[in-house]
Amino acid sequence: MSMTPDELFKLKKEIKKAKRRHKKEDTANLGLTSLMDIVAIIVVYLLKSYASDPILIQPISEQKIPMSRMDMPIKEGIAIYISSRELIFNEEQVATLTDGELDPNVVQGHVIRPLFEKLEEETEKSKQVFEGRGEEWVGHVILIGDEALKFSTIVDLMYTAGRLEYSEYSFCIIQKG
Amino acid sequence: MRVRHNEELEVEEANVLPVMNIMFLLIPALLLAMEVASLAAIAVSPPKFAAAPSPKKEEEKKEEKPLKFKVFILDDGFRVTTASQQEGAEAGKEQDSTGPSIPLAKPSADASDYSRYNYDALEAKAKELKEIAKHETVVTISAENDIPMAVLINTMDAVRGSECKLLAIKEDEEIPPECLFFQPIVEAGAG
Repeated sequence: MSMTPDELFKLKKEIKKAKRRHKKEDTANLGLTSLMDIVAIIVVYLLKSYASDPILIQPISEQKIPMSRMDMPIKEGIAIYISSRELIFNEEQVATLTDGELDPNVVQGHVIRPLFEKLEEETEKSKQVFEGRGEEWVGHVILIGDEALKFSTIVDLMYTAGRLEYSEYSFCIIQKG
Repeated sequence: MRVRHNEELEVEEANVLPVMNIMFLLIPALLLAMEVASLAAIAVSPPKFAAAPSPKKEEEKKEEKPLKFKVFILDDGFRVTTASQQEGAEAGKEQDSTGPSIPLAKPSADASDYSRYNYDALEAKAKELKEIAKHETVVTISAENDIPMAVLINTMDAVRGSECKLLAIKEDEEIPPECLFFQPIVEAGAG
């Protein structure tokens, strides 16, 4: 049976319609692979820079670390933070300051008593760790001070640590340039 | 076996969204923990723990007269002293404790202006002294009670030399001439 061109055209149209009706909807997939690559690179870079710091220094509020041209990295040690308002050791406020000076009641003969007590506990622990490793203990204090910190307070801090056999001191600075 | 070319291979894609979520959480966490500014440290010694020089340098130093370079930071300038005679002291007197040997660069500036001290003159003096005592690296720094930490740090920078890069020096390497007095001893009430 032969079909007329009109009939053939209509049939073709019907077939096309049927095909369209049964066709699944196209869903657009978001290509995440390239984004994933970028994010992975950023994470690896950040993790590496995080891991390369032997000690993590996070300045406390209202603290302006002095600037210097010194380029030596910070060695591992016990960090003491001091701003123009507070003295912080082991994330704990041990003394307060007024006009950049320590409360005279907490300083006895250049020794900052609350700091001495906290530092003594930490020193004992640190010495035990070194003893366990079979290494000689060398006390190292990192002073993260404010640029306006008075010299007399620096001397008091060094004297207090010195009483607990700390022989190495470092002043934390922000590198210029 | 016949291969049907028209049939598309359906590959199951890995669901990376949970991993992406973790990664996006890790980025701000690591950024917060990261150093914004580059931090470094200045090693200082209290008087009795002054760093001992190496035996070779010690031999070389024996030929030199001990310098005993001291810088006292005053409210109105630096007082520089050495073993021989204090800068600016009267003839016949070893020391003159009345005034600074390097006065302020900006005398009218406020005390909170840390650049009011003449650090260039101090560095020039340190260079001059280094010419006399080539193997000397120790400087004793002391200050008046009210002197801020920034001035102390700037003083250490000046006596160390502005061109000095200590990080580049290896352990057995000779100290470059641009590094002047880089081993500061912090002393209380010296002068």
